[in-house]
Amino acid sequence: MLPPTRQKVMRHLDIVGHLQPSLHEETHAPAPDQVDNAHFRAYTRSTHDVGGEPDIPIPWEEKEEEVWEHNTFVTCEVLAWRGVWNAEERRRRQNVEVGQTQYLGLPYYGRWLMTAAKILVDKQFVTLTELQDKVEEVKKRYE
Amino acid sequence: MSKPHYDREHHVKKATGIGDPQCFKGEAGEARFKVGDRVRIKDLPDLFYTRTQTYTRGAEATVHEVVYESPPAEDESWDNTENVEWFYSLVFSMKELWPNYPDAFSSDTVETEIPEHYLEAC
Repeated sequence: MLPPTRQKVMRHLDIVGHLQPSLHEETHAPAPDQVDNAHFRAYTRSTHDVGGEPDIPIPWEEKEEEVWEHNTFVTCEVLAWRGVWNAEERRRRQNVEVGQTQYLGLPYYGRWLMTAAKILVDKQFVTLTELQDKVEEVKKRYE
Repeated sequence: MSKPHYDREHHVKKATGIGDPQCFKGEAGEARFKVGDRVRIKDLPDLFYTRTQTYTRGAEATVHEVVYESPPAEDESWDNTENVEWFYSLVFSMKELWPNYPDAFSSDTVETEIPEHYLEAC
């Protein structure tokens, strides 16, 4: 029996293995002449929330926002108010900088929350080690 | 590496009490297109960031409203707010956008906002 941390790591690697490659063909570290213009555009496309992308029909659900979602929204608005970002930079970071896997894989406000933490590191308001320490501290409250 | 020093609250100061995009009013000059004009969407490079949907590229549309002045998303998302342009609300025919759209709904349209530098007269 693996220790819990290793179990988590193995599970993570298993999921990531199923996420890649993003196209169902040989795509690992291709030579430059194996990437034509169409593939280049597909790989570098910027994911966005303005619609018009192929998908299967999904059911409409009337969902109330949860407390953590409201808190995340307010946090992001306060970051704008204090000049850390504007709405368009927030949108770019939530939709594009997260990458296609996170864009499709995380809940809507999950991407907001990830991005709020990321911009504070990117713009040097907190260091990544400070963030790590804080996440660890908070996790311990629930153990 | 030193930390960047600039007025990171410049946008807040400009927009407070006025609103965004209202705070950019008067900065774009004269609008190139007017209501009723037919325009085609340029297929500009969509590298790094855009909000001009891929499905509109190369398609034709009718100007429904000249809506507001704002920096385009490509600039504003890196906090570049100097080059302000007109935004247009454009109406596309669904049948023209999607080749397999059913004939029974041939009068369906979709309306969306696109900044001026993506538009050419047609």
